[in-house]
Amino acid sequence: MGKEANIKPPYEILAFITINKDRVLAGNALSLYTDTKEVQKMLTVDIAKALKADIVELKTGDYMVIRV
Amino acid sequence: MLNINDLTMIITATIMGTLARIFTLKEDIRQYPSYPNGYLIHIVIGFVAAGLGAVAIPALLSKNYIAITFLVLAVQQFRDVRKMEKDSLLSLEETEYTYRGNAYIDGIAKTFEARNYFALIVALSVSFVIQILKSKLWLEVVISIIVGIVIIFLLTRFSKGKSVGDIADVKPGKIEIKDSELYVDGIFVSNILGSDNARKLYKEEGIAVVIYPKEDHFRVTLDHYGQRQAILFEATRALGLKRYHFTRKDYEKGRIVVTLVPIISDINRLIDSVKNTPLLESVQKSHSVMKTNLLRSE
Repeated sequence: MGKEANIKPPYEILAFITINKDRVLAGNALSLYTDTKEVQKMLTVDIAKALKADIVELKTGDYMVIRV
Repeated sequence: MLNINDLTMIITATIMGTLARIFTLKEDIRQYPSYPNGYLIHIVIGFVAAGLGAVAIPALLSKNYIAITFLVLAVQQFRDVRKMEKDSLLSLEETEYTYRGNAYIDGIAKTFEARNYFALIVALSVSFVIQILKSKLWLEVVISIIVGIVIIFLLTRFSKGKSVGDIADVKPGKIEIKDSELYVDGIFVSNILGSDNARKLYKEEGIAVVIYPKEDHFRVTLDHYGQRQAILFEATRALGLKRYHFTRKDYEKGRIVVTLVPIISDINRLIDSVKNTPLLESVQKSHSVMKTNLLRSE
């Protein structure tokens, strides 16, 4: 991993938006549950815009809003 | 009271020393945080350094040995120049497109310090040559100027250092986006392209280059985090940055990816800026890279 492994990653997770109730957990990041994929996508984009952040789409279909 | 010979010696040496600083200012223009004020500050400091070098020989000859100790002051002053540059660049970090990184800043600050020694050494050499020559005054001045020019040339070559283009090939990279993942020439770069807007932007406007080390051992230099940060900084400064910038190394073959969404979409300019990024002094280098060829043509 080299030097980078020792450096604190320069990003933070701001929000986690999921359509699966089982994956809503407590933590520092805002954790949101929505019913539909459309609402999930809309919420993610709106939060990212407001916080000037980036979006990661996980393979599970969940979204993370992160700031790099 | 100074005689005409001493006065000529001091003036010639001071001018040559100051010119040495001015020439080196022009050579590495991209390392300048601000043009008019940066130029003024460094020319004035270079002039002071040249003045100190110019009067050292006459002071010694007039048996004013204590006066020589001001060379120590000069060294201290140059160290302050390094510190000043370091502080200045560090304070700019938050305002740039991306970070220069501590390794790059350290290298730039050292360069600033070293170039004041150029002025000192050139002035000292010029005054020394005038002193040892026993000829007509104008001839002494001409010969000393020639010697000064040669020394400026040698010092410039000596301190030049290498750039990324010397140890690696830089070629355009092909951008691919699979879902939210960004790939360049098949190398995974990032997965933060989670929104449709981000994917569209990157697909339409993203550009990328891949750095191929010419020898396997050059990976030691190119893989260095500070070195890659410096490359990315030069790339964003050359083209501007609209959104997103990444570097990624490929562990298998040692390729380095540099990709961004620039303001000016010019792949050749990106390649040039990556190639011209200096290899950082603080980066552990192989001996073959460190060898400096004084007379190599550009």
